[in-house]
Amino acid sequence: MAEQPAGSGASERPAEINWRAAEQSSEFRRLVRTRNRFVYPATAFFLIWYVGFILLAGYAPDFMGESVYEGLTVGYLLALSQFVMTWGLAWWYLRKSNREFDPLAEEARRVALKAADQTKARR
Amino acid sequence: MIAPLAADLNELALSIFAVVVGITLVITYFASKRMTSATDFWAAGRGITGAQNGFAIAGDYMSAASFLGIAGLIFLFGFDGFLYSVGFLVAFLTVLFLLSERMRNTGKYTMADVLSYRLNQRPARAAAALGTLAVAGFYLIAQMVGAGVLIEALVGINFSVSVIVTGVFMLTYVIFGGMLATTWVQIIKAILLMTATIVLSLFVLERVGFNPIDLFNQAKDASPEGDAYLKPGLFLDSPLDTLSLGLALVLGTAGLPHILMRFFTVPDAKAARSSVVWAVGLIGVFYVMTTFLGFGARAFLGTGGEEAAGTGGNLAAPLLAEELGGGAGTVGGDLFLAIIAAVAFATILAVVAGLVISASGAVAHDVWSNIVRKGKDSEHEEVYVARIAAGVIGAATIAIAVIGGEGLNVSFMVGLAFAVAASANFPALLLSLTWRRFNTTGAVTGVLVGTISSIFLVIVSPGVWPGPDAEGSPIGWDLANPGIVSIPLGFIGCWLGTVLSKEETRAEHDFDELYVRSETGLGAEVATGRGLLDRHVDEPESPAAATPPAATTR
Repeated sequence: MAEQPAGSGASERPAEINWRAAEQSSEFRRLVRTRNRFVYPATAFFLIWYVGFILLAGYAPDFMGESVYEGLTVGYLLALSQFVMTWGLAWWYLRKSNREFDPLAEEARRVALKAADQTKARR
Repeated sequence: MIAPLAADLNELALSIFAVVVGITLVITYFASKRMTSATDFWAAGRGITGAQNGFAIAGDYMSAASFLGIAGLIFLFGFDGFLYSVGFLVAFLTVLFLLSERMRNTGKYTMADVLSYRLNQRPARAAAALGTLAVAGFYLIAQMVGAGVLIEALVGINFSVSVIVTGVFMLTYVIFGGMLATTWVQIIKAILLMTATIVLSLFVLERVGFNPIDLFNQAKDASPEGDAYLKPGLFLDSPLDTLSLGLALVLGTAGLPHILMRFFTVPDAKAARSSVVWAVGLIGVFYVMTTFLGFGARAFLGTGGEEAAGTGGNLAAPLLAEELGGGAGTVGGDLFLAIIAAVAFATILAVVAGLVISASGAVAHDVWSNIVRKGKDSEHEEVYVARIAAGVIGAATIAIAVIGGEGLNVSFMVGLAFAVAASANFPALLLSLTWRRFNTTGAVTGVLVGTISSIFLVIVSPGVWPGPDAEGSPIGWDLANPGIVSIPLGFIGCWLGTVLSKEETRAEHDFDELYVRSETGLGAEVATGRGLLDRHVDEPESPAAATPPAATTR
């Protein structure tokens, strides 16, 4: 539990990093673009699904009370769908992070640190 | 006043309490020996793993209100009780997508570290400390009064004594064991709570042949409301108010200081992310099971249980446990009841400890160390002040709860805590991380507008103004939950404050650094601490690794 995570600590010298250049590097832009392409639509989706559920409960109680199967109601199923949605989106985000976002972040870090090393070497 | 449920089984309940409390005190002792730095005190040396932190988040988040309260609401009002719990879970998607990793990448001990990263230190920190203390304060008072009421009802210990005992344990964990002890108290609580809920759910389901649909129908038949019991509307009868509450839950969780603080205890952003996914799994399973407890209580206790379950149905779950164990007066019934009482006590302790340590961070790290001493104090002094701050905050909360007594109207306080978190803390944090132009004036205005509008709208709401029994509101505001107005106001406050004030060149320049760090984890604070069970006392591997350049000391 006490090990240093790989790639952090002494090898990174954030003071040497040109943050403006790092922010404008194509690697960093690609990371942010890829992650946002998932995060923003996913956020919009779960907010709409959740607010829609509350509004249905508020304005269509009879619809929510309708029995789908022997007394299992639409409302209970929709409430469960919120749980499934939360688990599903969380798992999907975790998977995409491990497979796509983390390697892109690693690449953006590497480019920024390399530039910092070159700056230092020129001094 | 209802007679305590367990008046005649004090000894059994107290001995189970003693076991739980004994374990937490041993943990506190070991944790106290591992505490040498501020990082140890507030962030457990950043040595908590993702899975451990997931349990700790669940333990930090699920209060007695969600354990006993939601089961009670489902018992009383059926579907609406379940509707209430949905928002508490969905909220973690906001945390996961927008804040958890960014907080870990750019913060040190408190959410003020992130907010003030590129803004003017003192005003931005003061604003974040205000948001933290408002949320933690309201939440803490509600929890302490609730603790007193519950323990009195469950084991018959006098209200004031219950509050003081809860407060003393809370302070022992925080002052001597810091975040490491707090974390393990939360992990143990989460395990106890999940186990108790799973066991009770299995007992309930066993009675209906493991057919949940049968359970719903039996509950409906046992309810005087009939079909309406499985429909919305029995409890949350104003759709707009429910929406207002829902928004505050879904956005407010991402502004709760004691939850955000947990992300500083893990080694990196990857662990922060996985901890949220763990928490989502645990909390979700827990809330699905509360429906079995609530509907089970209705099906097996019938309307006869209503009076005994008390206002809000808080004692429905304990009564159900007694029934499932064999009924009142039987050995099994007494044992189940005693165990549930102990789990409820552990639940309260874990939440209040998390709240106090986050409040101590705002006072000692933000106000004292960075605003008063301008970062010139030693780490030793910072931790010393943190302990004093925790003691003072804890003592003040105990005093308010004891003086206010069990009649203190705290029902609106948890909602208010979430409303302030959603309207003040969340907009300011999110905009500081994503909007380059955002500046100090915007942060200060946003936090002030969000906090003041939430508190104002709650004060003038019909349930609070000028007392719970009075009718109407002086300004014609008839929602109990302010979120639907105060959250947009918080965002507008941030935006107007920013565009109406001069551009802050340094804040915009440093945005590059904050942005790159928050997204990539470059230069993030590294782990220095040891886990609770690690034996060897290692020095940090290299001095450079142990003293990363800190944003807060630039």
